[in-house]
Amino acid sequence: MEYLAGPLSALIGELEKLPTIGPKTAARLAFYILSAPAEEAQALCRAILDVKDKVRFCSRCFSLTEDDPCAICRDPRRDGSKLCVVAEAKDVYAIERTASFRGRYHVLGGLISPMEGVGVDKLHIAELVQRVPAEGIQEVIVATNPNAEGESTALYVARILAPLAVTVTRLAYGLPIGGELDYADEVTLSRALEGRRPLS
Amino acid sequence: MRVTSLDLANFRNYAALHFEPPGGVCVLLGANAQGKSNLLEALSLLATGKSFRAAREADLVAEGTPLARIAARVHRAGGDVTAGCFITRVGEGARKRFVRNGRTVAYAHFLGTLAAVTFLPSDLHVVGGPPALRRRFLNAALAQCDRTYYRHHAAYTKVILQKNALLKSAAPDEKLLATYNAQLADSGSQIIGARAAYVRKLAAAAREVHARWVGPQPELGVRYLPNPTLPDGDESPGTVFAQLEKALAASASAEMLRRSALVGPHRDDMALELGGVALERYGSQGQQRTALLALKAAEYQLLAQAAGEPPLLLLDDVLSELDAQRRHAFMLSIEDCEQVFVTATDAPETLPRTATTVYEIRAGTVRRAPAAAAS
Ligand SMILES: Nc1ncnc2c1ncn2[C@@H]1O[C@H](COP(=O)(O)OP(=O)(O)O)[C@@H](O)[C@H]1O
Ligand SMILES: [Mg+2]
Ligand SMILES: [Zn+2]
Repeated sequence: MEYLAGPLSALIGELEKLPTIGPKTAARLAFYILSAPAEEAQALCRAILDVKDKVRFCSRCFSLTEDDPCAICRDPRRDGSKLCVVAEAKDVYAIERTASFRGRYHVLGGLISPMEGVGVDKLHIAELVQRVPAEGIQEVIVATNPNAEGESTALYVARILAPLAVTVTRLAYGLPIGGELDYADEVTLSRALEGRRPLS
Repeated sequence: MRVTSLDLANFRNYAALHFEPPGGVCVLLGANAQGKSNLLEALSLLATGKSFRAAREADLVAEGTPLARIAARVHRAGGDVTAGCFITRVGEGARKRFVRNGRTVAYAHFLGTLAAVTFLPSDLHVVGGPPALRRRFLNAALAQCDRTYYRHHAAYTKVILQKNALLKSAAPDEKLLATYNAQLADSGSQIIGARAAYVRKLAAAAREVHARWVGPQPELGVRYLPNPTLPDGDESPGTVFAQLEKALAASASAEMLRRSALVGPHRDDMALELGGVALERYGSQGQQRTALLALKAAEYQLLAQAAGEPPLLLLDDVLSELDAQRRHAFMLSIEDCEQVFVTATDAPETLPRTATTVYEIRAGTVRRAPAAAAS
């Protein structure tokens, strides 16, 4: 890209490294940034640096936060008897967006997968076992993905918490809203049947 | 049922193919490495969801292209349906997406859109070859007859891979091993139950076909050999589950020692016997071939029952391996078939069927053969 000014091709090169960004998109973004007001470019720079400087893991729930412990862990209005276990910090945001869970979280940092070298000791499972009695948690809701690793991890968590006086539940499997019964596969449908609830 | 049109785009050596195969016997004639097997592979993939030979699914996508497409229109007793599969390269591997009547559907829902029995040269080793070949035979047949089977089998296979990786790690976590074993007992007992029921029906049908060909003696015996073995013929789900759970617990220390999963249906086998003795040990090559043909004819009958109409038959280079008499007997046993695809390198002998159409396959193209070649 010798025909481009050095800094411009450097910016394109950096943007191209980002996931889902190809060379064309990278060039479009770079030209946009070049033509944008200086304040906009500075705000973008600052936001990027701040993420690296200021965001860290919460020492209690291992979610992402600026202050430790995180806002959810500190919030006294949260129901401390319920703990939702998720694989990744992004899952916390997915559940928070529903605004229907008022308990707290515990982020495992992944799913158990010996094939990929992710053993039990690579995840925040020991910390979970400590938190449950220490915080007087009564219900642990395991909200891992309904795939093979998510299933194994959920069952493992249930097994390891079994000696403690705590109820362990799993998110219900269900039919997608707006979907059609006739298009659901047998396994989804039979799991949804198992998880049925009374209407009256 | 029959396929009325097949479209391939960047599938193996087919850059772009539009093919409207007729009913009856469709002979695909061509020199080696022209794309005869590739065409059968595409049809078979729509039926079973898997390639019958690719170790790496990325190999299905034409070299230098990112995406392959298979699309077929299938004429069925209940009306026409369309079935499609997109295979996309992802890193070193590939991802498949299945489409039925224009809608992307989960694989478990796609299964059954097209039904096919495939007969490959490697099937000749189902008798006498390693147990893995007999398990592959059962898996391909069962996945098409019973949609939930595929799901249980896929779930089981994933957990076995994780369990083996765990057993090979420095200090396997015992609770995780127990978790995997609980999951394996669940899906594994479903697999064993389904295989037991299927092999019972398969055995009855194969015995009958075989007796029709060679007389009642010696009788062809097909027996399922589950791992673990079940107490005499009790295949009720509860018993199978309990038996598998017990066997997993009993072999825990041996598995730790050998660092490998030793118990479960991934170690299943199927016994093939003639007059009560093992076919691969005592049968002549001719007897083994006859038994195998009876097994394939039985597979065909069971799939026809499950699908509610005769499935396609895909014969890749096997007919030429058989003598005329066996070939004739086999074709008669599947006479209700609406559509058969046969590959051959030489001009084929006429098959005992009415409509036979010959196509020439050359470097990923399909052309109707001139009348001389078809005679
Ligand atoms: N992914 C691929 N891309 C391009 N060509 C391929 C691919 N996979 C296989 N082929 C070609 O397909 C041909 C083999 O086709 P095949 O159907 O097995 O032959 P046959 O007619 O002998 O049955 C070979 O020429 C091989 O190079
Ligand atoms: Mg071939
Ligand atoms: Zn926190």
